[in-house]
Amino acid sequence: MNTTAPAIRGQLIKMVLITSSAVLLLTVTSLFVYDFLTFRQNSVQQLDTLGRAIAANATAALAFDNADDARNVLTAFEVEPHIAQAALYKMSGARFAAYSSHAATGEIPTRLKPEATGFHFEHSSLVGVLPVTEGSRRLGTLYVQSDLRAIYDRIRLYAGIVALVVCASGLLAYALSRRLQHRISSPILALAQMANAISTRQDYSVRAAAAGVFELDQLTEAFNHMVGAIQTSEARLRVQLGHLSLLQHITSAIGERQDLHSINQVVVTTLERSMPIEFGCIARYDATSRLLTVASLGVASQSCGAQLGLLPGAEIVLDENGLATCLEGQLVYEPDSGQVPLPLLQRLAALNLKSVVMAPLVAEKTLFGVLIAARREANAYTSPDCEFLKQLSEHVALAARQAELNSALQTAYDDLRRSQQTTVQQERLRALGQIASGIAHDINNAISPVSLYTESLLEREPNLSERARSYLTTIQRAIGDVAGTVARMREFYRQREPQLSLSRIDLNVTVQQALQLTHARWSDLPQQKGVMIEVKTELAPLPAEVMVAEGEMRDALTNLIFNAVDAMPEGGTLTVRTRRVKPEADAAERVHVEVGDTGVGMDEATQRRCLEPFFTTKGERGSGLGLAMVYGMISRHSAELQLESTPGRGSLFRLVFAAAAGVAPAAEAEPVIFERRPLRILLVDDDPLLIGSLQEVLLADGHDVIVANGGQAGIDTFAEATRSRQPFSIVITDLGMPYVDGRRVAAAVKAAAPATPVVLLTGWGQRLIADGEVPPHVDRVLNKPPRLMELRSALRDLTIPAGPLKAAGGTSR
Amino acid sequence: MPKFVRQAGWILALLLSIAARASAPDEYQVEAVFLLHFTQFVEWPVQASDAQTPFVIGVLGRDPFGSALDDAVRGETVKGRPLVVKRFAVAGDLKPCQILFIDRSAVSEADQVIGSLAHSGTLTVSNVEVPAPADVIIRFLNEDRRIRLRINVDYARNAGLTISSKLLRPAQVVGTIPAG
Repeated sequence: MNTTAPAIRGQLIKMVLITSSAVLLLTVTSLFVYDFLTFRQNSVQQLDTLGRAIAANATAALAFDNADDARNVLTAFEVEPHIAQAALYKMSGARFAAYSSHAATGEIPTRLKPEATGFHFEHSSLVGVLPVTEGSRRLGTLYVQSDLRAIYDRIRLYAGIVALVVCASGLLAYALSRRLQHRISSPILALAQMANAISTRQDYSVRAAAAGVFELDQLTEAFNHMVGAIQTSEARLRVQLGHLSLLQHITSAIGERQDLHSINQVVVTTLERSMPIEFGCIARYDATSRLLTVASLGVASQSCGAQLGLLPGAEIVLDENGLATCLEGQLVYEPDSGQVPLPLLQRLAALNLKSVVMAPLVAEKTLFGVLIAARREANAYTSPDCEFLKQLSEHVALAARQAELNSALQTAYDDLRRSQQTTVQQERLRALGQIASGIAHDINNAISPVSLYTESLLEREPNLSERARSYLTTIQRAIGDVAGTVARMREFYRQREPQLSLSRIDLNVTVQQALQLTHARWSDLPQQKGVMIEVKTELAPLPAEVMVAEGEMRDALTNLIFNAVDAMPEGGTLTVRTRRVKPEADAAERVHVEVGDTGVGMDEATQRRCLEPFFTTKGERGSGLGLAMVYGMISRHSAELQLESTPGRGSLFRLVFAAAAGVAPAAEAEPVIFERRPLRILLVDDDPLLIGSLQEVLLADGHDVIVANGGQAGIDTFAEATRSRQPFSIVITDLGMPYVDGRRVAAAVKAAAPATPVVLLTGWGQRLIADGEVPPHVDRVLNKPPRLMELRSALRDLTIPAGPLKAAGGTSR
Repeated sequence: MPKFVRQAGWILALLLSIAARASAPDEYQVEAVFLLHFTQFVEWPVQASDAQTPFVIGVLGRDPFGSALDDAVRGETVKGRPLVVKRFAVAGDLKPCQILFIDRSAVSEADQVIGSLAHSGTLTVSNVEVPAPADVIIRFLNEDRRIRLRINVDYARNAGLTISSKLLRPAQVVGTIPAG
């Protein structure tokens, strides 16, 4: 505020003073001017009268040339002190007589023209020139000079009086206006002070009293009206500020939360506490089933909710008007629920909850649910309240949408991570598979002589000691398992199910074999670390016969035994058990194989996941594939895997198979001694060990065996033999050879002699067959390591054109 | 006003005053004007024939005025009546007139004339003393080259004339002025 601005009091007083002074001045001045003019006129008249009188008296003196008399006459002016000078002139214009008062100044004209009569004002005097006549005769002229100092004296006097009067009236006006301005300035000052007080104290409830002056009353009324308006808008502002702060509070609380339930909960609870409301709930809407379900209830609303049947999980009946409108995305406000004949509102009304707001939770045009906020008194919500709830519901809906998106994102992320891991593993596995494939070829090549010689020894050396025969049999079985294992290595990276070749197996035997194979793992290695593992074998008294792929069964048991050993780093008891079980009288008999340990055991999470591929508790030591392989095997055999485990107590894996039906067939027939028809055989291979052993075995059978070291050498030898008319009965060639492989050898042979059978030996043999990849020009594919029985069978089948042709795949190991 | 103009003015004024003194009117010229002036200060009794007759100034005896009197009255009137000058050489010639100047040449006849004119409403004027007991109503007195008046109010009253007090004031008054 401008404090140097004049105060209204001072202004009023100044106005009064200026006005009164102006009026006074005008009045006095006009009076003065009037008086001045009148005075001049009077002076002229006075002088005229005086002059005429003197002139009349002076006629005789003039007429009879009596200057003394004339002077006497003029002396009469002495009684008029303002007549300064006077003179009489003859008709000739000559001065006749003159008079001067004491105060006279200036000269009297010595001559005066008779015609120059009249009055005129000189600088400080009034000069009158009058004719002197007697009867009709002009006798001379009278000159009279009246001193105007009197007039000026009077002016001065007047000015003094005016000044005095103005001063006096100014003082009076000041005193009066000072008293009287109070009536106008004090209400205005009071208003100003009140406005000041209001703005300082922020109290808009005070009102100014009427002053009793029309305009001021209008001002006061306008002021009061304005203060009232400010009060109203201030109250509205406070409410909106409260809402804004509440909204901010809730929004930040929502922002800290991720899951929908806790978001809903914080919204209703905060509303209950801060808005406040008596009942608050959020219901979720499912668009597909068109169901509205209570999702969250405020803490204080629990009892109401229980009475209303609106506890979390309860469905809300969709009535026609209220909720249906709300579900269309519009906020519904019922100021008095008792007046609306809708079931939900009636239920709320029964609990004396009269004001009900139902706000839809809509985000991106999707309805997520409904926010219901109720208060006890009717008409409890103002339009800002409704607006606030509407905004809040938008926020909540947005948060719900966020939470939903977030969870979807999380799921997608988890999926992605899992599939990425799987892909990485598969890639690893694929590389592993390729390596394994090469390794398998080499291993098969390497063990081929072992297999051939072992078989040959068992067959041809009847004098072997029982011990040697037993060792050789174990060697032969181990070689068979090695071949099977190598073959199965491919399964890791192959998507399709491997072909099962089921055979009737006594699990008691398989268990023994598995224990024998894993002896080093449960006996030697732990002992090196000073750990003792006791092995208990509880076998069923009767043969536990099942139909399984023997090698896979053995692998499964081996894996289970490995796991059991790994679970007992401090030592313990490994139990392997077989049982025949008949659960019910008329049920099929089942065979149980159990592998148990007294090791660390597994918690529930581990139990749940232990069968997953790549899941391992062994860190880098484990591939995570052992149990997965067991499970795969179990699934392929339509068997069952049961798991019992207690952390710290140990685990038990139970494999449940259907018992093999019927009676066991007679023991496998003794190897058939085939008819030894000498054949001329061409052997083509690049591996000297294999080719040497094969040559020896076939020579021992009495065949004529020619060896070609490599594909090209094979083709050349075959062509040479054909030219020299010593053709080969059969060609046995390896598949994988450098430069010229088995396929090309076979093609060349068939091109030269289409009737000559070709047998393909392959380290990938099983895969070739399984994939249906028997190359053209090949009559039979034999796996490495070749088994003597198969080889003989193939030679016999292929070289007796009339003989029955057996399918190669039917051969069992 | 420039100085030389003022000086010139002074010189001119001096010359004019010398000229005026040089041509100062002689006694008779003044007296002629005085005669004319008396018509303004004296009230004559009203007569029925006034309207038809001119106002007559008569000169008895030798006319001392020369042309001065004629000059003075030329064109003048008294209350609408033309003013004429008539000259009477001797008393016998005398005809009625309103003002009669008796020259020193006729002073001997003055007594007779004045006697005959009593109550006639004629203002008798002379510049010499008439032998007593007769007296003119107004006599010119030459005092130090200034003409003064001597008025005999008794005679005036007898003549039925009213003499203005203005005329009486500067004059030497003889006789009794009735009070009131």
